[in-house]
Amino acid sequence: MIATFAPVARRLAPHALVLAILLFIAAFSFLQPAFLKPENLIGILRQVSLIGIMAVCMTFVIMTGGVDLSVGPVLAISGLAAFFTLEAGWPLPIGIAAGIAVGVAVGLANGFLIAAFGLPPIIVTLAMLSIVRGTALIAGGPDLHAIRGHDSYTFIGAGSLWGIPMPIFLFGAVAAAVIFLQFATPLGVRVAAIGDNERAARLSGHRVWATKLVIYALSSAGAAFAGIIQTTQVHTAAATYGEFGTELDVIAAVVLGGTSLSGGHGSAARTVLGVLFLGVINSGMNILNVPIDSQLIAKGVLIAAALAAAERAKH
Amino acid sequence: MADPALEARGLTKRYGDFVALNNVDFRLQRGEVRALIGSNGAGKSTLIKILTGAVAPTAGVMRLNGEAAPFGDPGEMIRRGVGCIYQHSNLAPAMTVLDNIFLGRQPTRGFGLVDRRRQRREATALLAHYGVDLDLDAAAGALPTVKQKEVEIMKALALDASVLLMDEPTGWLAATDVRRLHDTIRQLKSRGVGVVYISHMLDEIFSVCDTMTILRDGVVVAESDVAAVTRTDVVRLMVGERLAKESGEAAAAARRPRGDGRVRLAVRDFTRRGVFQNISFDLHAGEILCITGLIGSKRTELLRALFGADPHDEGRVEIDDRLIRPRSPASAMAEGLGLVPEDRHRDGLMLGMSVAENLVMTTLARFVRVGLLDRGAVRAAAAKSIDALGVQPRDGRRATRLLSGGNQQKVLVGKWLNRRPEVLILDEPTVGVDVGAKAEIYAILRAERDRGTAVLVVSSDLEEVMTIADRIGVMASGRLTAIHDATDVTLSRLVAEIGAEP
Repeated sequence: MIATFAPVARRLAPHALVLAILLFIAAFSFLQPAFLKPENLIGILRQVSLIGIMAVCMTFVIMTGGVDLSVGPVLAISGLAAFFTLEAGWPLPIGIAAGIAVGVAVGLANGFLIAAFGLPPIIVTLAMLSIVRGTALIAGGPDLHAIRGHDSYTFIGAGSLWGIPMPIFLFGAVAAAVIFLQFATPLGVRVAAIGDNERAARLSGHRVWATKLVIYALSSAGAAFAGIIQTTQVHTAAATYGEFGTELDVIAAVVLGGTSLSGGHGSAARTVLGVLFLGVINSGMNILNVPIDSQLIAKGVLIAAALAAAERAKH
Repeated sequence: MADPALEARGLTKRYGDFVALNNVDFRLQRGEVRALIGSNGAGKSTLIKILTGAVAPTAGVMRLNGEAAPFGDPGEMIRRGVGCIYQHSNLAPAMTVLDNIFLGRQPTRGFGLVDRRRQRREATALLAHYGVDLDLDAAAGALPTVKQKEVEIMKALALDASVLLMDEPTGWLAATDVRRLHDTIRQLKSRGVGVVYISHMLDEIFSVCDTMTILRDGVVVAESDVAAVTRTDVVRLMVGERLAKESGEAAAAARRPRGDGRVRLAVRDFTRRGVFQNISFDLHAGEILCITGLIGSKRTELLRALFGADPHDEGRVEIDDRLIRPRSPASAMAEGLGLVPEDRHRDGLMLGMSVAENLVMTTLARFVRVGLLDRGAVRAAAAKSIDALGVQPRDGRRATRLLSGGNQQKVLVGKWLNRRPEVLILDEPTVGVDVGAKAEIYAILRAERDRGTAVLVVSSDLEEVMTIADRIGVMASGRLTAIHDATDVTLSRLVAEIGAEP
């Protein structure tokens, strides 16, 4: 019995995440058929789109053995930057560019401190989390800033095409772009090389510091883009968006996608699956009316169990 | 006569097809200091790992003080009295000497509280017994290195170690500290502790050891009292007798000292203070220059500095009469240098990545068209390399970790050949590689030389040096002490120069 089971298990192991997602979808729809309604499925995608954009963009950072804890405040400050730029009368593309630029600047600062001084990413981005949040609070104050009269701006987050909300398209576009970066440009190989063996990458003539600047900038740019979408979804910008815990959801999605926190192999495409897994679980528990406290516990247990299973599958 | 402290018979360890240790007998009496000698890859570290329980042998038996001992159980080996002092410190630097000695197994009173008075009493008695003077309340990290070694020794002895393995214990010590450590070893010996002393420093072996076991290619080639042999005998036994006879004339005909006569790489007064001094040599296009010497003669450090991976303080480096300043590997590569590092796992390969990806790791930019990576071209180039190098299996998609040591080494050499460097530097190019793959790598290096590349090889394997070198340099204590045409120098002369006291 076991002898026949083992090869099957080995062949299924790479698809475990897909199977788990399908299994949960089946279970939730059995318990509550409304789960399978198109509105609900679209709702799942819409809910995960912001976390998804950030997770896809952070995948390279985690592949190199790093982490980016500063995404929450970057989300907030970028929304504010876009808001203030628009309020000052600049056209829409400039407003979006300003928001993204703030994010990229934070990411470059992270990358510079990590690459030039060899500081641990967890410390640098933790410090940046604090600095950026403080800056956002100085700039934005405690208030919610209502966005009025910028219809094309609010369309980004609140609009929809063919009945599908814009953020889903944007998540799809960002994911496609990052997957393309990973497979079709040398960046994918350089990132994997650093994660696998940073010493050897340097001795092979790779400019490791340059790659790190790029990937931390990409991670922050993802958070900035998510920040812009969020402000347009809720028609307000505030310094408190991207609250504590955002970065943990993002990291969880990346890690569930099979990227190891200690660096090495990883894939932006699989991060998308990790994001969907989290989305299905959240939505399923909501639709079954599981209280929020129990939801948190169940989510934590599931993440730990999924990672333990992945770890076992490696050996 | 009492049972030996340690007695192992028929130890064999295979890694796949590679036999790291072949039917080795090893015996250590109480109060004996035995040197364990061999070049890189001879099997010393495998033997040590078996004795500490870190790996289990494929075959063999072992007895400790007359009782059968288990294999592959590090905790049990410590309980049975086998301690090991490694080259690098294993102390907790912020804790006191006292805490370090008892780390992980403090004597306790009820409720799991540490019995500090008993700890201090036991430690004091221990130090007195072995005649060692240490301040128990000093932070271990603040002590000089030799004192730290003493703390490690006491930590092992506090466990009633009757066998102490010392792996390159003097690697970080100054000469006076070496003498001090040797005094401590003599104290241990007089108390009946058996010591296995692993070192490449012949001086130390002749000063502190009673007996020696020499390993080569995983086999014990000699066991002797230290008093019965000379330094020259030892080096000769380490490198093997065979080469002197067979490869001498055949290789001599093919030798091309100074290649085609053009100086490709000129190094003048190259110095990194405290590491290597005033290194000067010329490397010609189309020749293989081998630099040999004992471990610790700073050959690897020299190569890394030439390649820009480590800094240097003084000196000039020229390639084709053009002054270069190696500041980073990337800049050295732009000037036409390539370095195949010694440790392929730590410095050389991305083991989790595919063979094809590793083969293009140094030439990635050549596969980029308008910002995009041409994966088809990568596959084609990798397939070509795999054929040229004879990598087995011939599958570029395979994870590099799954290859044998010899095939991994071919991939490592191959990724540098693909760059077509003007100066190719290799550090111990055949460590841990089986005989067949060795011959293939030699053929690859000769072909590269015949294409006009200047090849610089560092090797402690004299058989290898005599096989491939056109000229031979000898390094000792951070200085290049001699350079010979390989056609003129005899093995015994080389052996004498390598083992010479500085």
